[in-house]
Amino acid sequence: MWRLSLGIVVAAALGAQEDAASLIEQKCLHCHGGMQLGKLDLRTRESALRGGEHGASIVPGAAATSKLIRMVSGQDTPRMPLGGSLSEAEIVVLRQWIAAGAKYPDRTLVAKQKLGVTPEPALRESDRKWWAFQPVRASGGTIDGWLNEAMTKAGVKPAPLADRTTLVRRAYLDLIGLPPTPAEVAAFVESKDPQAWPKLIDQLLASPHYGERWGRHWLDVARYADSNGYEHDFDRPNAWRYRDYVIRAFNEDKPYDVFLAEQLAGDEIEKPTYDSLTATGFLRSYAKVGYREKDNPEFRFEYLDDMIATVGRGVMGLTVQCARCHDHKFDPISQKDYYRMQASLFGYVEVDHPLAPPAEAKAWREGNARVDAAIAGLRDKLRQIEAPYAAKILPGKYKRFPANVQEAIATPEDKRTPGQVLLANQVIRTTRAAPGEIDRICTPEDLAARRQLQREMAALEKQRPPAPPLAMGVTDGDYRFTPDGAGDEPAPGKGIKSEAIIGSFLHEGPGRYTAPPSFLLVRGDMHAKAEPMKPGFPRVVDWGGLPAELETSSGKTAGRRLALAKWLTAPEHPLTARVMANRIWHHHFGRGLVASLDNFGKMGDRPTNPALLDFLATEFRTRGWSVKAMHRLIMTSEAYQRESADESGTAVDPANRLLWRFPMRRLEAEIVRDQVLAVSGALNRAAGGSAVFPPLPEELLASSNKGVWKRQSDGPETWRRSVYVYRKRGLPFPMFETFDLPDQNIACGARNVSTVPTQALFLMNDPFLLRQAELFANRIKEAGGDPVATAFRLALARAPRKEERAAVDGLTVEALAQVVLNLNEFLYLR
Amino acid sequence: MMNRRKFLLEAGGGMGVLALTSLEAATHHAPKAKRVISLFMSGGVSHVDTFDPKPALARYAGQPLSGKGDVVVRQGHPGPLMPSPFTFRRHGQSGLEVCELFPKIGALCDEYALIRSAFSKSNDHVQAHYALSSGQIRMGFPSLGAWVSYGLGSVNRDLPGYVVLYDQRGGPFGGPANWTSGFMPAAYQGTVFRSAGEPILDLKPPPGMSGEEQRKRLAALGKLNAMDAARTPSNTELAARLESYELAYRMQSAAPEAVDLASESAATKKLYGLDEAHTEPFGRQCLMARRLVERGVRFVQMYHGGLGIQNLDTWDAHEDVKTNHTRHAAATDTPIAGLLIDLKARGLLQDTLVVWHGEFGRMPISQRGLGRDHNPGAMSIWMAGAGIRGGQVIGSSDEFGYKAEEQPVSVHDFHATILHLLGLDHTKLTYRFNGREIRLTDVYGTPVPQLI
Repeated sequence: MWRLSLGIVVAAALGAQEDAASLIEQKCLHCHGGMQLGKLDLRTRESALRGGEHGASIVPGAAATSKLIRMVSGQDTPRMPLGGSLSEAEIVVLRQWIAAGAKYPDRTLVAKQKLGVTPEPALRESDRKWWAFQPVRASGGTIDGWLNEAMTKAGVKPAPLADRTTLVRRAYLDLIGLPPTPAEVAAFVESKDPQAWPKLIDQLLASPHYGERWGRHWLDVARYADSNGYEHDFDRPNAWRYRDYVIRAFNEDKPYDVFLAEQLAGDEIEKPTYDSLTATGFLRSYAKVGYREKDNPEFRFEYLDDMIATVGRGVMGLTVQCARCHDHKFDPISQKDYYRMQASLFGYVEVDHPLAPPAEAKAWREGNARVDAAIAGLRDKLRQIEAPYAAKILPGKYKRFPANVQEAIATPEDKRTPGQVLLANQVIRTTRAAPGEIDRICTPEDLAARRQLQREMAALEKQRPPAPPLAMGVTDGDYRFTPDGAGDEPAPGKGIKSEAIIGSFLHEGPGRYTAPPSFLLVRGDMHAKAEPMKPGFPRVVDWGGLPAELETSSGKTAGRRLALAKWLTAPEHPLTARVMANRIWHHHFGRGLVASLDNFGKMGDRPTNPALLDFLATEFRTRGWSVKAMHRLIMTSEAYQRESADESGTAVDPANRLLWRFPMRRLEAEIVRDQVLAVSGALNRAAGGSAVFPPLPEELLASSNKGVWKRQSDGPETWRRSVYVYRKRGLPFPMFETFDLPDQNIACGARNVSTVPTQALFLMNDPFLLRQAELFANRIKEAGGDPVATAFRLALARAPRKEERAAVDGLTVEALAQVVLNLNEFLYLR
Repeated sequence: MMNRRKFLLEAGGGMGVLALTSLEAATHHAPKAKRVISLFMSGGVSHVDTFDPKPALARYAGQPLSGKGDVVVRQGHPGPLMPSPFTFRRHGQSGLEVCELFPKIGALCDEYALIRSAFSKSNDHVQAHYALSSGQIRMGFPSLGAWVSYGLGSVNRDLPGYVVLYDQRGGPFGGPANWTSGFMPAAYQGTVFRSAGEPILDLKPPPGMSGEEQRKRLAALGKLNAMDAARTPSNTELAARLESYELAYRMQSAAPEAVDLASESAATKKLYGLDEAHTEPFGRQCLMARRLVERGVRFVQMYHGGLGIQNLDTWDAHEDVKTNHTRHAAATDTPIAGLLIDLKARGLLQDTLVVWHGEFGRMPISQRGLGRDHNPGAMSIWMAGAGIRGGQVIGSSDEFGYKAEEQPVSVHDFHATILHLLGLDHTKLTYRFNGREIRLTDVYGTPVPQLI
């Protein structure tokens, strides 16, 4: 009898042991098996007892204190398993098993997680209560009304309005990034027109230089650059067309909703234009590894992540990209939200849009395809002739490899050991006979035949129709069939560049294009596909009612990007207008009402004046998403026109959060350089086109990646505005970097401002700066009259003070010119 | 802490401004290291041919690598297991086995702890460089040296706190992004010291301008800027800019002096290998590094191997590991050993951390008979000085050296260890960017317990 009962007990214990083990296999080992996330390996009892980063995971006999139980029951966070908790019954199984000594079965545990439907945390009502997810309130009022109210509450008095010379310089530098000439200063200062200030603003907004200044702010968000980055840092010869598009869009005051729609879906909108196709370069401005996606699909997920990050942070102020591997830690954005957004973008392929009438573009594409096909046929013939010669040459080439390789190759294929198979394959598959080698041994007839074929191929190359202007952008298609192109170096051993894949990767019909399926990826791992995802919008800011896929005019794309754009710019969207209005405010005042321009989530900063922010967002939308209207609105406020040197409020609000004075701030890198060029008189005002390459020291070029830096002179050809200087990801332009250029690879709204001796070294010693100082000196001399007055008027838009004259007394004009270019006042907007 | 770091920044941050009266002021706990010299062997050193002997490779030579899951190679197709062409010798009291290529570094094995279970994230040179530099394989994140500058500021008022010395043949894979400050202010980025000519870009005015002329200009500028700053005394930036000119002026003499080797004795130069053509270039860099840390530079990042001809001028031994590694080991053995000996003799090694590593290890299998492909699964790192117990081995890779096996040490663990030795808790050293407190180690990393 007792034997029997013991047997039952043993069997029950074994059963419990197996239940626990199988639970661990299904729920834990995917991460805490071979992957050892958190250094925890639950596959063996020994490793489980040893535990991971957080100490022992199992204490046999002490279920309550075992880390494993604390984690699965939610006593410790994050609750495990991530993305799907255990049931009470399952936890009891584990508890009892640990209480009984946590014995492992006599076999090796292996991960048995089934990928399937993953539960998504329900959106709670409270999630939508966060200020930024609430609808924009039409709060009314005025800028000064809202600001003054806050000042009165805090007991700070607003500073007096600045004088007119200060204002005119402020407006010029802020709106066009160039200083006013003495004549322009005089015209404004002496004007009796009560409307002189709004008229000045209008005049500057009409300047073509306005787009060069304000477009640059957007290019920071778009992480724009002229090269790929990473190892090869390939040139992007057509990237500048997107840069020019942005400048043009600002100059034309393109409504922001249209601006966004073109950048996200310029190929899908009702009437695509050259500009709208060019605009899709926004999505493509990610840093890119030199290898083709079709050879290395894992990179594609990085690019998609970059797009999600850029659209998320840049347009919505939301860090959606944080939910790639797990639900967002702070904001109510689920991992599924991330993959819905990925699905909205997933059908994208890189394409160079021909900027030509459809018929011309078609003729160009077809002409090229004909040449490709004809060449392919000839190449096959050439191969047939060459094959026997190659077979003769290759054994000789194998001789430079070590004996074991030669032996492996010499061994008949079916006799090779497994190791010899590997060695032989490595060499055979990567060794080719060069055409020159074949030349030397082939018969005169074959040589003649080859030459003839080669001539025909060369002649065919010449028949390629001339390419129309190309804009680097995206459309929908199937990336697996993307043809080879410049910058598409295949991964070694994974593809050959010269062998174009025949066939189009763009949908040509019939029927509607459907995007390839995309999946929720467990922990962001492209190999761990869970359920397929439909496109959609982050739930917490989605009010429903808008489709995530739209019919497009051409029918050749999925219409998902277009739907995303429509949703982002719908009047109900709580973020888009706020985020952009806040950016505009930031660039006028040096600090956003929400200081974290790209993060309106829980970890971002709270708005310092929420009513004012909503007022601006409302105005932005009701004024037709016009950025220029926002400049007028903001710059005609008293807040914008206050003095910056006033000190009266420093005791109460030293950081000037309430904007009781105009915040003075150092000019951005590009504007420092542009201003130097303008003041010296050397600025080449040519607009647009390919980037320029101001000279760099050779040693510096040697430090960088591959890629291009054309050798151009320190002269008018490079004395263009800084927005036209080549942006090389691998080698940021040193002067810009010294003056806090943001990293070119991450969308960045707010730049740093630091004060470092290398800035002083540039202004003191750099050959470019000294050359400009010399030109400035010549300009001063040519003007005749009092050099100190001329220098101050040109550079600072004002007359020198008496004590300032004394300080520069005895300096040569050259010295005076350089000193003025180094002045704090010159480098600051105030 | 935030305010302190903000103060460090406004006063000039990494770029050589503030003389901290006591280093501990900015640390989280008592530091063991006050400065770091990082020796980055660019191109990927083969651990199984240098610091991690694998007799099993000889035993199973010519057989496929099996039982380790998918064999992922960078180029082409995997080959069979290949023994090291080099022999290993036991050295020192610890009896550590180091390959014959490093007789001098091997002899000093009791000075460093050897991690044989390090691993990285990517088998792409550039991504792997960024991983070691910043913890992330993507471009744009602040480098380790930037984090250290941000965390600790600078000691020497006249020199940058974070200096980069790269190979005279060219910069490392990935270029200047390796020493970027990413989204932090430019103040924290590495400053490249060139090995010839003026060490820093724009350090000196061009020949036409005399020192006297420059002083005159700076005097006038100083007066004007001081008048201007006096009008807005609450703006500390204006005062900092005034100060930055004085610093820049002092740097003009301090920086060249710091790297001028003329005053070094013949014996010292010999110690670093400056007397022989093949060791002279890296020997010069190592000696410059010692002079820089002596003068208070906090972080010296050195690279051996630069973008010239990739398979020749870096440790990237795809073609032939024997020829490649013989050449590069010979160029670095004497200089690095000289640096360790010299630092110790000067009493600097006790609070200077010296680390040595590549961006990944190499494959235990052959590439076309003689070479080895990239292997981020396992690599060797050694760390000397800063009170670290020398001669110890930490962790191990599997029998072939394909994957880290016992006590795997990630790049984040490695970074956490370095920060810990400097008195910084890697979980507390954060920088707020876009509303998130970002760490060098992201959400990972544990300092290696044997090293702290």
